[in-house]
Amino acid sequence: MQIALQKVLPVFFEENKNDGSQVWNKIVSFSKGQNIHIIAPSGSGKTTLIHFLYGLRNDYSGHILYDANDIKHFDAEKFSIWRKQHISIVFQDLRLFPEQTILQNLEIKRVLSSFQAAENIAAMAERLGIKTKLHQLCKNCSYGEQQRAAIIRALQQPFDFLLLDEPFSHLDELNRVKAMELMEEESKKRNATIILADLREIEYFKSEITLHL
Amino acid sequence: MLSFKNIAPFLSAEQNKVSRWLSYAGLGVGVLLLLCSIQMFININDLLQEKNSRKDGADFISVTKTITNENMGKDNRFTATDLKELKSQSFITDAAPLISNQFRVKASAGNIIPFSTDLFLESLDERFLDTVPPSFTWKEGQADIPIIFSSDFMEMYNVFAPSQDLPQLSDKTMSSVNIILECYTPYGVQNFRARIVALSDRINSVLVPNNFMQWANKNFGGVSQVNPSRIYIKTIDANNPQLLNFLQEKDYRVNKDKTKFGRVKQILQAIVSGLAGFGVLVILLAMLLFSFYLQLMIAKSKDNLQLLLTLGYSPKWLSKTVAKKWVPVYTTIVLSALLLTGLLQFSFQHFVMYDREELSGTMHWMVIVVAVVLLALTILTNYRLVRKLLFNLN
Repeated sequence: MQIALQKVLPVFFEENKNDGSQVWNKIVSFSKGQNIHIIAPSGSGKTTLIHFLYGLRNDYSGHILYDANDIKHFDAEKFSIWRKQHISIVFQDLRLFPEQTILQNLEIKRVLSSFQAAENIAAMAERLGIKTKLHQLCKNCSYGEQQRAAIIRALQQPFDFLLLDEPFSHLDELNRVKAMELMEEESKKRNATIILADLREIEYFKSEITLHL
Repeated sequence: MLSFKNIAPFLSAEQNKVSRWLSYAGLGVGVLLLLCSIQMFININDLLQEKNSRKDGADFISVTKTITNENMGKDNRFTATDLKELKSQSFITDAAPLISNQFRVKASAGNIIPFSTDLFLESLDERFLDTVPPSFTWKEGQADIPIIFSSDFMEMYNVFAPSQDLPQLSDKTMSSVNIILECYTPYGVQNFRARIVALSDRINSVLVPNNFMQWANKNFGGVSQVNPSRIYIKTIDANNPQLLNFLQEKDYRVNKDKTKFGRVKQILQAIVSGLAGFGVLVILLAMLLFSFYLQLMIAKSKDNLQLLLTLGYSPKWLSKTVAKKWVPVYTTIVLSALLLTGLLQFSFQHFVMYDREELSGTMHWMVIVVAVVLLALTILTNYRLVRKLLFNLN
């Protein structure tokens, strides 16, 4: 799979805001197997870009293509197919079910594609240090624990692209490294691409391409 | 395999139990009302069918012009144009005039029954007669005239006979009585021997063969073309509102007795149709209530459903799965209503109608078809509603 951006620019951007950007209003394409690091200061549209790529918003000019398909023409059904098989995501705002346990939050994603075995959840939770939290209601967990749950959830499906929007904002250094290792490992298994957007350069993320937003 | 069980914790399906159960009850009552009304409609049709006077699935009615104080002295007979107009109506299959005698006729029964009366004779096209025996023919020069007599007249005779010291007659003896018809002609009285060859339930008259009437009118009355004062019409449905409107508009009078059952039937069926309409209304209200419940459930689970879609759940799959949850409920409701209708029909036939033959103890197939269609419609409506609500989330 390939994701291509053709002169994509948020319609609400003020003029000249995109000056110097290597992504906005440019022709960029991301291919499978090449990790991308997008470095963006606050307010430069990092989350907007990730939401555009995932199809949550479409208030932009230009085109975003999944292979040769312009996603502006996708309906909810079509997006569901791509999201189930090809693109996974860790949201900045996590987007977990607060009234469910961490395990339920992970299971609901796992059963959708049955890509991972059920026991892998426990193993991953153990690696990221939230195994004891699995049966706790999500809303009662700390933000850091929830962020790790969101990372594990993103790994419960097959994907060609893994979109990460400031995935470590609530983690300490040790947990960041562990989480990154796990994601890179899982991505390699799938020969997939990680697109990581963060405020600054993350040294433990091995990326082939770095772009400034 | 993914199923409703997986997504159930993410839906607030268990809330608003009252409105959900109310909508189930409403649906049950509505479906029962509708199915029972349809069955009753069919029952009324079966029970109030005039089997005797109907032939080829048609009704035969006699039509006359209404005599009022205004038109009393005028000629109130039908003209050829009137007859043509009647025949041209789409709801009238056929029409034929009743030709009456244009000369005086007196009937007596000879010495056996000392009875004599002025009589009228009529003739009608054979197509309109319910009983035409082979002997109902006449040739010029023949002194015997076959007569088809109204069963009602026969009954009338038997009612007044004892008070006049006359013998009562059975249908069989009636046919063996020799009647002498005295026809008054310009050249004096001419006698014919008449015999009753059949009794008619349909036509209130004394009928003679057509060709005799024409011959006698011409030779005894000096008239070859007679305008009839009565016309018989053949129609598929004597209660067709178009027909009744037409007759009323033309100021024609119909034999109300013939359509008496039809009128009762019409009223009863109107009542039952009203009930069926009410049933449909109740079903619609129940569906509306259920749709409110669904909308509320989806609105309350909106965030969760939205997140499920974001995570890659297919809206088609979600709507199908959510809607499917109510298929067993709907099926149970409609099947229960159907079974209850069957039970009620059996009880009605057995305990109220005492196993009358013309009524079936089982449900009409139409009721089952309606139940199946209702079930399919309910499930489809439900699915479409859920689908619409889910697709609107995105």
